[in-house]
Amino acid sequence: MEMTRTNTMKNIFGMKRILSLALLLVLFAACDHETDPEGPSLFDRFAPLEVLDSLESSSTQVDFSAGETISFTAEFNKNIDWVITITGQTSGAVKRLESFDRFVEPSNATWAGGTTDLPLFRDELCMVVLSVPEEPEFGDTLMVNVLGTLNYDGVMVTDFEENPGACIELGDFEFELANSGRLDDITAAQGVFFYRLAGTDNATGGPTDNFFVGLARIFACITGETYFQVPTTVPENLYLNLFVAGRETPYTRVVLGLIIDTNDSGDFEQGQDEIRSLEFDPTYTGWRLQSFTAAEFGASQADLEKVVGIELVLISLNNLQPNPREEVGFETDFMIFTENGPLEL
Amino acid sequence: MQGIKKLYMTKYVMALAVIFAVAFEGHAQTEGALSSEEAETFLKGVNFNGMGRVYLRQTDIEGDILENDSLTPRRLTDGEFLLDLKINATPNEKTEVQSILRLRNEFGGFFGAGQSVEVRELWARGLIGEAIEYRVGDMDVEMSPFTFFMPTEEGVINQPSAFDLQRDVIYYEQFYTDDNSRRMQGANVNFGLKFSEVLRDADFKGFIARVRGTDFFTIPTRWVSGGEAKFRTRRLIDKTRSRADFGLNIVHTFDDLQSGEANSGIRNTVYSFEYNIIGYETDRMEYSLFGEMGRSELKSIDDDDNTVFAIDDVFLTVSGGAKFKEKNLFVHAGLSDVGPDFFSMGAQSKRVNFDAPKSFYNRAGADQEVRDVTLFDLSRDVAVYTYQLSDALMTYDPRFTNTFPYGPATPNRRGLNYGGEYENEKIQASINGAAMSEIRGQGTEELKDFFLVQAAVDVNVNKFLEWENSINVTVGYQYENTNRGGIDVERVDLNSNLLEAGIEIEIFDDFELLFGAKLLVAEGSDYIPRIDEFNEVRDFPGRTEIDDTETLLAGGLKYTFKEGIFLTLQYQSFDATGRSDSFRDYTLNQIFVLYTMKF
Repeated sequence: MEMTRTNTMKNIFGMKRILSLALLLVLFAACDHETDPEGPSLFDRFAPLEVLDSLESSSTQVDFSAGETISFTAEFNKNIDWVITITGQTSGAVKRLESFDRFVEPSNATWAGGTTDLPLFRDELCMVVLSVPEEPEFGDTLMVNVLGTLNYDGVMVTDFEENPGACIELGDFEFELANSGRLDDITAAQGVFFYRLAGTDNATGGPTDNFFVGLARIFACITGETYFQVPTTVPENLYLNLFVAGRETPYTRVVLGLIIDTNDSGDFEQGQDEIRSLEFDPTYTGWRLQSFTAAEFGASQADLEKVVGIELVLISLNNLQPNPREEVGFETDFMIFTENGPLEL
Repeated sequence: MQGIKKLYMTKYVMALAVIFAVAFEGHAQTEGALSSEEAETFLKGVNFNGMGRVYLRQTDIEGDILENDSLTPRRLTDGEFLLDLKINATPNEKTEVQSILRLRNEFGGFFGAGQSVEVRELWARGLIGEAIEYRVGDMDVEMSPFTFFMPTEEGVINQPSAFDLQRDVIYYEQFYTDDNSRRMQGANVNFGLKFSEVLRDADFKGFIARVRGTDFFTIPTRWVSGGEAKFRTRRLIDKTRSRADFGLNIVHTFDDLQSGEANSGIRNTVYSFEYNIIGYETDRMEYSLFGEMGRSELKSIDDDDNTVFAIDDVFLTVSGGAKFKEKNLFVHAGLSDVGPDFFSMGAQSKRVNFDAPKSFYNRAGADQEVRDVTLFDLSRDVAVYTYQLSDALMTYDPRFTNTFPYGPATPNRRGLNYGGEYENEKIQASINGAAMSEIRGQGTEELKDFFLVQAAVDVNVNKFLEWENSINVTVGYQYENTNRGGIDVERVDLNSNLLEAGIEIEIFDDFELLFGAKLLVAEGSDYIPRIDEFNEVRDFPGRTEIDDTETLLAGGLKYTFKEGIFLTLQYQSFDATGRSDSFRDYTLNQIFVLYTMKF
């Protein structure tokens, strides 16, 4: 009996079987690993940069208003962060295309007319620079001519290029505004004209010391309609977009409102119609896009069917102001309603 | 014949089936078990033991590093007086509680400044039903090298006694033991079974411990739990004396997302099978096959328990060994394959935290840059050591180790390893080595190759001289080469040599002279990756050019009053030279007195 048990165990635990099993396990384990290199490529990180093909464009001119695009090509010896910076020679508008790739090619370097830094492009000559942030001495340049600018999707309120007449009301009731209204004395965010509200709240000389400096009301007649024909009346989906240039000093605030024709008169009546408004901070320099949903204004779906005007109120934060008080103000341009998202530049 | 086989298989299966059901010969395990002798002692009531220590150090710094540096003090004096009072009580035969209260006063502290009283250790243990041992509170946990295991520290191969005294302080402060256990706070149970057929006995252990607490905001409480079952067989084949030890291990580390406001956490599970098969044994020799294999899983989950990210990988080691009993010689060689995504928090967390601020001269130089961890810091600074679990692979220094920076469980390694040990009354020697390769390239398809040799020799010179007092010579050596081919930016070639040598001479009874030296020479270059959570290589800061020489010399004396009570006075000189830039050229000189009393 003892002999039988020993033989059985021999079969089970024989060294040959153990070794064979071990070998199989080794092979099994050796085959089952993910072996793609981990981390960034050392070649990309540390190899010297070489430009194999210099910057070229698919065309020397482009008409974005006709739906055309322009693409760029170049080739490096390695994957690297590169930037194509397109600068309008008249407007100063900037479009940047960026990627981490060895190739500059249509899939990552096509310009459809959009803008990264306002203002918007005009019909103008543009300088295109390919640069590599890690290699400050490298730069490759060419020029392209924009024959027509991009048409943005949305319902335009106004771009201030045409004289609005009575459709814009400037409220300077305390005589504090200065150099305000439809102007062209700085570069507009789009086209030539923009609208400015600027002035100094008078602490002692005005009728009241009430933060209020001035206002502008833009009525729907500017579009030739009684009410603004917004692309949707769903408050969460309707966006009011406007380009705003502010002031570096921290004293300016803007109250932006949708004027609702509450009494259904077809016109704005002070004290009868309601204004759904919000406040934003324009204390920065240069043009920026400001976008707000109708829900942020507190407007209902019914309200959005009777938007008779848009109000801009210039506020001075008197409690922060030094004495004498500093000027507050802002410029605005290219007001447009969009649906389902902010204006895509 | 077939019928007989079937009969024995049935018996075998039946024996396994009753393991968990019938503990007819259950017995408690050694650790924590209360033998009748211990129980008798405990019944006497409360015992007081402890350890007192006086440790005074003066350290000077000089060298090029201090050029235009008016901030760094040229001399630092520090030290401490401490008493760890161990109170052990046995309320009854089956229960034991122990606490260690620490009273500490910093050298120079007065009127309460620098003084502290703290609970260093607190636990209770006992027996349930004469068979199951439990312990709650502080505990040391060790499992297999791939599941829960604290790898040894860098910069030490076979350290001379001159450096051991300071290392003992570090070990004591960080709760390091002579094995690879890790100090945890939680609870454990263990019990054992004995068998009469096929299996000789089986040990079962389980534990759960809290790794960290929640901050009540984004960091959830983290727990680690685990268990092991180990089996030993009787002789399976009488003629060859074949037998086998095998075990199953599982460790699970998890975040409790119900704690705090955290909305993400991890789950790390590692399970393994380990084995040691004595295939053939005689009175003169023994052949064995041993190793471990298993798998790890790592998941990141959100607060709805959805998996956000997951990786898993396997590992395997298999070695063959031969023991020549008459010659006291054991040699072994084997294969190892640890996958690049193998993630085991309990086994890959290192002792040395190279990012930790050092307790002295952490910054130096005109720009007060952080000084690198050196042989000197590794030999004396408790602050660079830790026993905590890390949830990402910790920073390592390739000058000290590149082959196995995270111990045996270092991921992304495949290759051969070998070793041998020899011992007689005059000489103890060992050699270990490995020829490994990466499995997955870092930043390239090219793979690094690693070649490692470690040798250690202890010579009892007095046995050769037939001198009554002891004279021990200690030598340790490590050579390591890291190499990678490819184009220029991919190429890596780093060589490091670490040599340790020392002598310990007992001039009179219990009065010893101690001399020791450590030398590190590293030259070449390597890329050291920055590693994010989940061990993802985020970036390479740049090629690290290394041209370093570190020398640490020690000399002193030690008088042992009686076992556990000694006084030592030592002078150490550390020099860092030959660097690629002048920032790191400096010398540190240290004199210290250490008095330790265990009672």
